[in-house]
Amino acid sequence: MENTVIDVEFQNVSKYYGKEKVVDEVNFRINRGEIFVLIGPSGCGKTTTLKMINQLVPHSSGQIFVRGKNVTELDPVELRRSIGYVIQHIGLLPHLTIRDNVNFVLQLQRVPQKKQRERANELIKMIGLPDSYLDRYPHEISGGEQQRVGVARALAADPEILLMDEPFGAVDPLTREQLQNELLRLQKTIKKTMVFVTHDMQEAFKVGNRIGIMRRGQLVTMGTAMDIVNAKDDFVRAFIGREAVFSALDTIPVFQAIIRDCPVIHEGDAIDPADPRFKDWENVFVINQNGHCLGYVSLTDFKAHEKVTTEKLREITSPCLPSDSLKKAIGEMLWGKRAWLPVVTKEGNFEGIVSFQSCVSILALDD
Amino acid sequence: MSLESLSSFLSYFWEVRFHVAELAVQHVLLSLMGVIVGTITALPLGIFATRYPKIGNYAVDITGMLYTVPSLAILGFMLPFLGLGWLPTIMALIIYSWMPVLRNTCAGILSVDSAVKEAAMGMGATPAQVLFRVELPLAFPVIMAGVRTVAVLTIGVATMGALAGAGGLGELVFTGISMMDTNRTLVGAIPVTIMALLADQLMGLIENRAKSRMGIRG
Ligand SMILES: Nc1ncnc2c1ncn2[C@@H]1O[C@H](COP(=O)(O)OP(=O)(O)OP(=O)(O)O)[C@@H](O)[C@H]1O
Ligand SMILES: [Mg+2]
Repeated sequence: MENTVIDVEFQNVSKYYGKEKVVDEVNFRINRGEIFVLIGPSGCGKTTTLKMINQLVPHSSGQIFVRGKNVTELDPVELRRSIGYVIQHIGLLPHLTIRDNVNFVLQLQRVPQKKQRERANELIKMIGLPDSYLDRYPHEISGGEQQRVGVARALAADPEILLMDEPFGAVDPLTREQLQNELLRLQKTIKKTMVFVTHDMQEAFKVGNRIGIMRRGQLVTMGTAMDIVNAKDDFVRAFIGREAVFSALDTIPVFQAIIRDCPVIHEGDAIDPADPRFKDWENVFVINQNGHCLGYVSLTDFKAHEKVTTEKLREITSPCLPSDSLKKAIGEMLWGKRAWLPVVTKEGNFEGIVSFQSCVSILALDD
Repeated sequence: MSLESLSSFLSYFWEVRFHVAELAVQHVLLSLMGVIVGTITALPLGIFATRYPKIGNYAVDITGMLYTVPSLAILGFMLPFLGLGWLPTIMALIIYSWMPVLRNTCAGILSVDSAVKEAAMGMGATPAQVLFRVELPLAFPVIMAGVRTVAVLTIGVATMGALAGAGGLGELVFTGISMMDTNRTLVGAIPVTIMALLADQLMGLIENRAKSRMGIRG
C-alpha cells in the first residue's frame, strides 16, 4: 500500500504486573483505516495491550506511538478523548439515559447542548435503533442493544481511532453476526482505524483486515486471513481450528486463487486440439479484441484444426468477480455442481478461472 | 386511652398549640443543622477514605466509636467546652451523623462497578469528572440511605437538646416527665415521632426514585 499512515505503533512494548510479564516485547503497526484484530486465549494480554494504547494501563517498557506521537508525552485525558473506547463489559452508565450515555464524551468536553442533541440523533440512527430509545435507561434495553449503544458512545466525538474490547461478547451468535455485519457496513462510511479484541476466530476472520494472534503475552503471528491460515506454528493452527477456516474463506478474495494461465483464443481464430498449449486442459476460452469473454469451447468438440463456430461456443454462466470471497465462489461451485468458475471483472474482462483445487492450493502454499 | 383522657389531651394540645409550634420549629432547625453540617463534613471525609483506605479505616473506626457513646454522655462532655444552649446540642447531632454518612459514602463509592468507572476514564473523564459524574451519582442511593438513618436518629436525639437548654420539643417531654404530666409529655413526644416518620418517608422516596432510575429494585 502506498502512502499508508501509521496510526498506532508498538515498539518492544512490555507490561509487568509485579514480577509477572503479561505483555512481552510486542511489536506492531496499525495503518489508518484498518481493522486490526487481536485474538488469543483468555488471559493472554489482549485487554492489557488495548488499554496501553489509551494509557488506561501504563506500559513498563518499550514505546507506544499514537498518530506518530509518543503516548508518554501526551496528556492522558486528551489522548483518551481522541480515541473511542468500547470496553469489555459494556460499562454503560446506569444512572444516565441512553442519550446521556451516548453524549457522555461530548458532555465531558462541554460541547454545546444543541450539537449534542443532533449528534445523539445521528448516532442512534447509525446503530439502527429507534429515536425513542434515547430516553430509556440502560436496564430498559437488551444486551445486544446495550452493546450497540456502547459502540455509538465510542463514536460520539468522531475519533479517528477506535478501541473495541470484545464489543459483541455478550450476545447470542445470531445477533453477534448481525452486529458484525453492521460494523462492517458502518466501517465503509466512517473508515476508522480500529483495534478489535475478540477470542472468536470466526469473528476475527470476518471483521479483521489483519489479525494478530497472542499467546502468553506474546504476539505470535500477525497478518491477513491468508497469512494466518497458512501459519506453520502448531499453537496457531490449533487455535484457529478447522471450522474457522471457513470464515477465513469469507475474507480471502477470489483473485488470490485465480488460475491465469488457462488457454485463451481470439474470436475468429481456428483451434488445433493438438496445440501443446492446450495440453492438460478441457476447455478453451474465447475472447474478443476488447478482452471480453464470449464463451468457451470444449476441446472434445474439435476433431482437427478447425474454426470456432457459434454452435460450438458455450456460454459462460455465473462468473465471479475477482473481489468476491472464496466462500462465495466455493458456494457457487457446490450449488451449481461445477468444478470451476470463470472470473470476469466488472468491465467484462476475462481474468481466468477459479477451481476447487486452486482454492485449496492457496490455503496450503507451503505444503 | 379512654375517651375522657383523649379529650383532655386534645384540649391541652389546643391550649398550648402555639408553644408547640414554636418548639417544633426550633426542633426542626436543630435537626436540620445537625444533619446538614454532619453530612457536609462526613461526605468529603468518606470520599477521602475511599482514596486513602488506610487513613479512611481509622476515620470509620473513630466515628463508629463516637456513635456508640450515649447521647446524654456526649452532651455532658460538651458542656464544659461549649457551655449551654444550641451549640453543644448541634455538635452532638453532628457527631452522631458522621458514622452512618461516612460508612455509606465509602460503601456507596466502593460498590460502583469498576467497568463503569473504567469506561468513563477511557472516554477521557478527569478524576474529578469520574467522581462527580459517575461515582457520586451512582453512590447516591446508598449515601441517601445513610442520611436517612441520620435524619431519623437526629430528630430523636434532638429531644435531648432541651436538657442543654437548646429548646425544641424535648422541653415539653422533659418538663412533662418531671411534673408527671402525661399530656405535656405526649404533646412533645407525638410531634417528634411524626416528624421522624415523615422524614423517613420523604427520604425513602428520594432514595427509591434514584434507585429505580438505575434499575435497582427499591
Ligand atoms: N490489574 C492487574 N493486576 C495484576 N494482574 C493483572 C491485572 N490485569 C490483568 N492482569 C493479568 O494479566 C494477564 C492478562 O490480562 P488481560 O486482561 O489482558 O487478558 P485478556 O487477554 O484480555 O483475557 P480475556 O480474554 O479473558 O479478557 C492475566 O493473566 C491477568 O490475570
Ligand atoms: Mg480481555
